[in-house]
Amino acid sequence: MLDTKYAYALGRIRVLETRLLDAGKIDRMVEAKTAAEALKILSESEYAPHLANLENENQFEQVLAAERSRIYKLLRSMLPETGLVDMFARQFDYHNLKVLLKAQKLGEKHYELLVPDVGNIPLDELLLAVKSGDFQSLPPRMRRAAESCLADFHPQLVDIRLDVALYKDYAALAKKYRSRFLREYFTYLADLINIKTFIRIMRLKHSADFLAEALLPAGELDLTVLSDSSEPLAALTEHLAKSRYARIVQEGVKHYRETGTLTRYEKLADNFLLQHLKQAKYVVLGPEPVIAYLLAKENEIKIIRIIMVGKINRLPTEEIRERLRDVYV
Amino acid sequence: MEFGLGLVLAIIGAALAVLLAGIGSAVAVSAVGQSALGVLSEDPDKFGSLLILQALPGTQGIYGLLVGFLILLRTGLLGGSPADLTLAQGWGFFFAALPIALGGLVSALYQGKVAISGVYLVAKRAEESGKAIILTAMVETYAILALLMSVLILLSINV
Repeated sequence: MLDTKYAYALGRIRVLETRLLDAGKIDRMVEAKTAAEALKILSESEYAPHLANLENENQFEQVLAAERSRIYKLLRSMLPETGLVDMFARQFDYHNLKVLLKAQKLGEKHYELLVPDVGNIPLDELLLAVKSGDFQSLPPRMRRAAESCLADFHPQLVDIRLDVALYKDYAALAKKYRSRFLREYFTYLADLINIKTFIRIMRLKHSADFLAEALLPAGELDLTVLSDSSEPLAALTEHLAKSRYARIVQEGVKHYRETGTLTRYEKLADNFLLQHLKQAKYVVLGPEPVIAYLLAKENEIKIIRIIMVGKINRLPTEEIRERLRDVYV
Repeated sequence: MEFGLGLVLAIIGAALAVLLAGIGSAVAVSAVGQSALGVLSEDPDKFGSLLILQALPGTQGIYGLLVGFLILLRTGLLGGSPADLTLAQGWGFFFAALPIALGGLVSALYQGKVAISGVYLVAKRAEESGKAIILTAMVETYAILALLMSVLILLSINV
């Protein structure tokens, strides 16, 4: 029989997909002479309502945050159960927890980094938990991770431990939805992040134990075997030469050797994931297009951020274009 | 009035034709309707072509009803004077109902899937609605073939 659970949402999403920024508008933003002019092009898009109460173009992050919050609210409202969206919103709970834990321990309150109105746990609740040191109200895995962060506090360990917990959550939820598409997405995502982590940790010459702790468990690659290599970058390229990431690693590492930055790698990795998401275009009934739309929107937000940061810092047009990701539509 | 086993088989056949083909159509029309409503909630101007797409997988239910009706007519049940069918005749009517019962059920569900894809196409390109409707109608062929065979078997049984 037909599984009609997502039929309504998918119909709506097919219309919403037509309102994503297309390559033409993005091109015009890149070509714009000033940051203000680039932002103005967004007034022909879904972002228009958020532009109204903006004082100047340096506050563009407000626009992006408002749009993200709108999309999560919209998707939650059109689905019969919000578990799927909550799963992706979980990353913002972990993000907020990181910010609050560091603020509490280091005394530097970077509250502007918090993401309100998107995650599953209200900010007040998180703030209360961190202030009192009592994490009983949090989900079990998050609670254990937070407690272990406080036990031997180090800012870097906070990021690592909470990320590991997040990716364990992701893997568990992908299993719950029995979706190959989701499982593969999280596996690829974790692998690509692990490769990046490996490159960074090797540069800083951390110990093999540190590497083992920092690698996300959800990936399918085992990079710890490369940790005692004398030429880690060459070993990495060779180790992955026959994997699906071969081209990304080869080109990314080459660029990294030349410039010392991972921007090319990050771009190729994002494009790889986007290519995976495009499979959802051929799904008639199922949760995949909902996820793909959500992530296409996140990709769009990332593209706008790259353009705006470039424009505000007066980077040459070519350099901005070089950093841009593909688009979903 | 007492029904022989032959007549009972004919009645079961008539019921199955309406039941199974009807279930297929109901599920498919509901699924297409839900996806069409999703599109309409964002873009209400597309009602016309979406309505046709939704109606297409509904025909199987009508074919099932037609065959059920013909069986009742041929066996005289509808006129109030049922024929005294032999067992062989009863099985004949029973099997006459099966093509549209099963063919209708399955073709309605699969036509529903094509219709939903059509709804997505209309969501993106309203001007292509004709193509979506034609491709969805292709699945109809097999419902019509099933109907044809049901009717041919039905008419070939001498009562």
